[in-house]
Amino acid sequence: MSQRPDMAVKVGGVELANPVLAASGTFGYGREYSPYLEPGALGGLVTKGVSLRPREGNPPPRIVETACGMLNAIGLANVGLEEFLKNKLPWLAEQPGAVVVNLYGESIEEFAELAKALGAAKGVDALELNVSCPNVKEGGMAFGCHPGAVGQVTAAAVAEAGDTPVWVKLTPNVTDLAPMAEAAAQAGARAVSLINTLMGMAIDARTRRPVLANVVGGLSGPAIKPVGLRMVWQVARAMKARHPEVDVVGLGGIMSGIDAAEYLIAGAGAVQVGTASFTEPGAAGRIAGELAEFCAQQGVARAGELTGSLHT
Amino acid sequence: MSASLKAKVLGNRPVGPQVHLMTLAAPAIAAKARPGQFVMLRVSPGPEPLLARPFSIHGVEGESLLVLYQVVGKGTGLLKEVAQGQELTMWGPLGRGFELGGDDPLLVAGGMGIAPLAFAAESLEQKGASFRAMFGIGSREAFTAWDAVSGDGDCYLEHWDWAAASEDGSLGREGLVTALLAEALDRRTGPVLACGPLPMLKAVARLCDEHGVPCQVSLEAPMACGVGACLGCAIPAKAGGYLRACQEGPVMDAALVDWGRI
Repeated sequence: MSQRPDMAVKVGGVELANPVLAASGTFGYGREYSPYLEPGALGGLVTKGVSLRPREGNPPPRIVETACGMLNAIGLANVGLEEFLKNKLPWLAEQPGAVVVNLYGESIEEFAELAKALGAAKGVDALELNVSCPNVKEGGMAFGCHPGAVGQVTAAAVAEAGDTPVWVKLTPNVTDLAPMAEAAAQAGARAVSLINTLMGMAIDARTRRPVLANVVGGLSGPAIKPVGLRMVWQVARAMKARHPEVDVVGLGGIMSGIDAAEYLIAGAGAVQVGTASFTEPGAAGRIAGELAEFCAQQGVARAGELTGSLHT
Repeated sequence: MSASLKAKVLGNRPVGPQVHLMTLAAPAIAAKARPGQFVMLRVSPGPEPLLARPFSIHGVEGESLLVLYQVVGKGTGLLKEVAQGQELTMWGPLGRGFELGGDDPLLVAGGMGIAPLAFAAESLEQKGASFRAMFGIGSREAFTAWDAVSGDGDCYLEHWDWAAASEDGSLGREGLVTALLAEALDRRTGPVLACGPLPMLKAVARLCDEHGVPCQVSLEAPMACGVGACLGCAIPAKAGGYLRACQEGPVMDAALVDWGRI
């Protein structure tokens, strides 16, 4: 029996007790899942995207199950900055595990304003810029599809965030992700998170109508894992060559500790568990445990040894 | 830690051509469950189908939970094949249940809406509270084993003196349950508790509104997590914006719902 592996990692300027975080948009503001996870089970969590003002989100239907996955078009419904700071963050700040606040602006100025307020807030360990939401008209993916815009948004947030590290969450809905990651890195991002959901749609053939009121939505779940792995591998290689100080946080369809290990091997320093939490509320904690077990079985002394260890 | 567990299936049998009754060993959930609340139930351990399904809690028997379900799609199609002794992932009890405190409530169930309202009726009976109930269904044939549905050998209708309506006249009066409700509302004013198909709930909400009678409805919406995180189960709110079926519901005051946008 091998020794208990050291699961602690430092990723994107944040010390994590283990490499497993809960992904934005799938874990609420943390408290929703507190009955289902042991305190300290996760390295941390990424909040639902916070915008300057509260957002109602899109009309229903907002979600639909697809083969080994699901589509969502929530539309970034959230409580807004003021309510988040007043009623969501104080509880989060008291919990073990890192708090990464995902934020979303409709303009570069809004990203900067959010970064300033959240970067200065007590209990926020990092910011994750959402330049990749496929379900909103303004901002979101519109920023994430152009290296110039990714760079501008990132630079504006980094300038206002003080010492709080800035991560950038990237969309897979581009031909080549590497220039987006490059732009984020050049603008001072400490990590890039990928992938957000893949644009998709579902149709009811009998009514000949789209299933989602928004017509299109973002595909997540195990169906997208091969795409996520490929993109993490490509971006991690590019970062290693040009920006070794920038980490990659991998996500997309992680359902088990082995899935998490695959992302680390592909080049991620940490992973995020998203849709799995919907399928079982304790999934992220279970996955963190399974990853530690995998490391022990494989004789991996430190979880960080897995990162980028792919043999090709 | 709350109740997310592997629940052993104690029974899973048909009580109608498309309706099944599942019994699960779930002491932690059974101890806390209130009428109108629901559980999330994973029908398969693998990635297909991926999501758990929400099911109303039909009743509690000791440490067991009853789930009455209709086979409508892939998930429930798999669920009916689950054998006794198998374990399913389940979490709950979730959401806001019925307020049973009102004076002489009137329970209105349409079709599978019987699932949570039978639990409500049972609770009211245990409390010794007076209530009345009515039930609408397409045909009596939908439930071939009424004793199994009520769990104790009696048909609900006989046991609780439920008024019934059926679309083919095979049970109670021919027609819709809302016709029974309209007559009842002309005579009485106790709060209405309703669950059933959306068109029925719309009609019930409108009738209650017209008569100035408080009305609670149990609503459904596509749902992924059941715990308030995915924001998928949005119900349009009268005050603007949306309410989550899993948190502010599934049982909501009908006056809070924007029935025009639903």
